[in-house]
Amino acid sequence: MQWVVATAAFLASAVEFVEAFTIVLVVGVTVNWRSALLGALAAAATLALLVATLGVALVQWVPLDILRTVIGTLLLLFGLKWLKNAIMRYAGLKARHDEEAIYEETQAELRARGEVDASSSRFDLFGFLLSYKSVLLEGLEVAFIVITFGLSAATSTVSRSSGIASAALGALLAGLLVILVGALVRAPLANVPENTLKFVVGIMLTTFGTFWLGEGFGGEWPLSDVFLLILAAIYLGASFLLIAWLKQVKKQQQARARESQSVPTPAQTQEVKP
Amino acid sequence: MKVIKAIYNFIVGDMVILIGVALAIIVLTLINNVGALAPLKGFSGLFLIIAVLGSLVASLSREADIWR
Repeated sequence: MQWVVATAAFLASAVEFVEAFTIVLVVGVTVNWRSALLGALAAAATLALLVATLGVALVQWVPLDILRTVIGTLLLLFGLKWLKNAIMRYAGLKARHDEEAIYEETQAELRARGEVDASSSRFDLFGFLLSYKSVLLEGLEVAFIVITFGLSAATSTVSRSSGIASAALGALLAGLLVILVGALVRAPLANVPENTLKFVVGIMLTTFGTFWLGEGFGGEWPLSDVFLLILAAIYLGASFLLIAWLKQVKKQQQARARESQSVPTPAQTQEVKP
Repeated sequence: MKVIKAIYNFIVGDMVILIGVALAIIVLTLINNVGALAPLKGFSGLFLIIAVLGSLVASLSREADIWR
């Protein structure tokens, strides 16, 4: 069992599943639960098939050195994307994900379509497809993380399939937890700290991406695997500095906006003159 | 073209980060394969970390410039 891999997959999956759950919930409440759950199950089956086929293909046929370079690069790109977005959200330069707003918006769209009878249990193709699409799109990121992160855990002592199994287990637990909490709450999971989770996962993906890419190019890190903690600390420290800097930029921008509003326009100045 | 754009958006979605990481990989490949650059091999890890942080800072600077 690869605990780091399982934890990273769990955190990343939890965020994505919360986002997918909001759409499944709105379809369930507004259209009907039969279509919503069938769509979610069909998407989960598609994703499981994707992880199984792509994961097995990569495990069996791609040499480890090539895999480390490719997976390291993908993890790095993916991690930097998550980290950048999380930093921007912390600094207030990007809107945070608002599950309640998404819920209201999607519900309004569904009601505007008309022909919605929530009391009916008849299969609704539109509801099925909406649920399927949302789970599949959010789940694709999870599948990507499970495959890449699981494969990146492969070492001389740990097999590649064991890494994928650990990552898949982490993702499965996150999915079950979201379903359980969602079933109890029956409302959008707005209190989940999505940005914090994305920030942590961004740091983890970037750390492992850098580590594996370095090893893929034949480099050796000082202190071996312990250097992962040092890398994470470096990226964490740099991210906090960047958040502080971007908050400063936003404050300056807001101050300038206030100044420009308080300065009278030439037309207003002329009116005051006798 | 649409498929390539969808893959690009899915994996990275940011040209600055993509170029930064691509440049880092090119330099690391050169360090590993060009004999004259072999003495730099010991610094490849440090170079990679600087390249990653540089890409992140450059990408966020661009976003900050939009706000200025």
